[in-house]
Amino acid sequence: MTGLTPTLSSLRHRPGRAVLTALGLALGIATIVALLAVSAGANQTAGKFVHLGRSDLGLFQKDAADPTTSVLPESLIAQLRRQRWVADAMGLQLLVEEVSRAPGAIVFGAPAGSFETSRMVFSAGRMFGGGDEIVLGDQLAPALHAHVGDLVRVGRRRMRVVGIYHLGVSEQDSGAFVPLSAAQALSGHAQEVTSIVVKLAPGVRPAAARRLIAARFPGLLVIDDPDEALRAGANGQLISNVTLVIVVLALLIGGISVMNTMLLSVIERRTEFALLSAVGWSGPQVANLVLTEGVIVSVLGAAAGIVLGSLGANLLIRALGAQAFVSPDISAWVLGRALLIGILIGVLGGLYPAWRAAHVSPARALAQQ
Amino acid sequence: MTQGPQSPSRSATGASVSVAGVSHAYGDVEVLHDVNFAVQPGELVALTGPSGSGKSTLLHLMGALDRPTQGRILVADVDVGELRRPAVFRRTSVGFVFQLHYLLPTLTVQQNVELPMAAARVPRHERAARARALLEEVGLWGRGRALPSELSGGERQRVALARALANQPPLILADEPTGSLDSAAADSVWRLLEDLRRRRGTTVVVASHDRSLIPHADRSLQLVEGRLSEVSAVQPRPCTAER
Repeated sequence: MTGLTPTLSSLRHRPGRAVLTALGLALGIATIVALLAVSAGANQTAGKFVHLGRSDLGLFQKDAADPTTSVLPESLIAQLRRQRWVADAMGLQLLVEEVSRAPGAIVFGAPAGSFETSRMVFSAGRMFGGGDEIVLGDQLAPALHAHVGDLVRVGRRRMRVVGIYHLGVSEQDSGAFVPLSAAQALSGHAQEVTSIVVKLAPGVRPAAARRLIAARFPGLLVIDDPDEALRAGANGQLISNVTLVIVVLALLIGGISVMNTMLLSVIERRTEFALLSAVGWSGPQVANLVLTEGVIVSVLGAAAGIVLGSLGANLLIRALGAQAFVSPDISAWVLGRALLIGILIGVLGGLYPAWRAAHVSPARALAQQ
Repeated sequence: MTQGPQSPSRSATGASVSVAGVSHAYGDVEVLHDVNFAVQPGELVALTGPSGSGKSTLLHLMGALDRPTQGRILVADVDVGELRRPAVFRRTSVGFVFQLHYLLPTLTVQQNVELPMAAARVPRHERAARARALLEEVGLWGRGRALPSELSGGERQRVALARALANQPPLILADEPTGSLDSAAADSVWRLLEDLRRRRGTTVVVASHDRSLIPHADRSLQLVEGRLSEVSAVQPRPCTAER
């Protein structure tokens, strides 16, 4: 017999209760995993927007719902270029869910010859020139069965494919580029852009540039670190906050659920704990037995929740309508946090029942039989 | 085996017990009134009396499951009412046998016997070896992997006796150990208790409402309504511990 034997045999003896408690926890943990994965995915996506091309900073409108809904005046680009600490700046107009047959593809409106578009390697055709021309990423073109010379519908316009490019960034290779003016016309934001990406002059530190921009151009959100990129979108921030609230709720509800189950178990097994006490088990030894049981149920629930949550993250993104630009990021860190929450639920929920079990009076419990 | 600082020293001849002026009440209801007696090391004493006379309460007090409202109980000169860590005393100095055996139904017979040793943190291999030896001693060799539900009533009570002996306590307290057994099974348990007293020199106090069992004991004490009404020597049987 090992120290875990009484705990495991008790769980085996009441499998229905253990499974139902674990299942309840699994649903809570699954929600947490899905939200953490979506939150991390949104962060990653925002990070990629910030570092489109080889820029040092990404500028967004403060308090935009998400990076794609930011609106900045195009005139700001010229003002930024005049700053001696700026090497170059360009505007980007992002269009989502505009490509028919590929709603997940992002269309980037950018000026031809900018530092972003100059990095493109063309496997077919050339860079766009006129207003109705489009170049497709080498992941999007096969998905649309499109070739150079074909027409592709973007929003209400039909645009001719003039080139197929590769950039090495999945969001861009699975999307398309059009002239900035065409994107502005499609979005109805003439003389406006979604974001401005900035290359700093040699030797200028991003932190210093951030301070200068904040002082010179109030109302801009400046991001220089992909980890901070979630700040660029209120939706992303909202997901992050909702995740935190749900984690706290899961701790409370899961903890109460485990406590309720364990309390029932302690009441049912009062004689058992009295007997253990009579044969010399100390209060902490009995408490440890109950606590271990709670933690095992919670860890099993957390493990099932991790599997469910990993599967459910994609469903959640679809439900949020964010599949166009967010992919769930199910990392070891996300899974580790979920498991830690599961263990915390077991410990928190098991504390009071463990205390009760440790304080069962053996004389009274045995006399009542 | 771990032995706490408050435990009586282990002795081959069992522990002496001294009950002096003990009264006990549950709320306003007094169940024991000024009880006085002593048990010599290695004695087998029958505590008789009708149901509700306070026998179980007295055993619980002697085994540190509860504290007397008044008076003192000394087990091997240790005041069990003043123990700071009664669990240590219970795991090292006393073995309980209850009428309902209280074997944990989810554990095997051997695991049940190992429970007191697990509390005392006896190494696992030693626990298993000692449990097997005890099961052999009570005539249940080879039944270690069985569940309690697979045993007869008499066999379960013998497992409970093996569990009581697990940490080699100098005092065994048996509360109606044959109360739910048929006469053959009851005889078997009594023989074991007598054999235990004879070979190990363990002090044994047995509470029973059945006065026909008195001849098995060295001495009998009768409790009526919480008072000791009769003390009688049954037959002189000197203790000859073989350990």
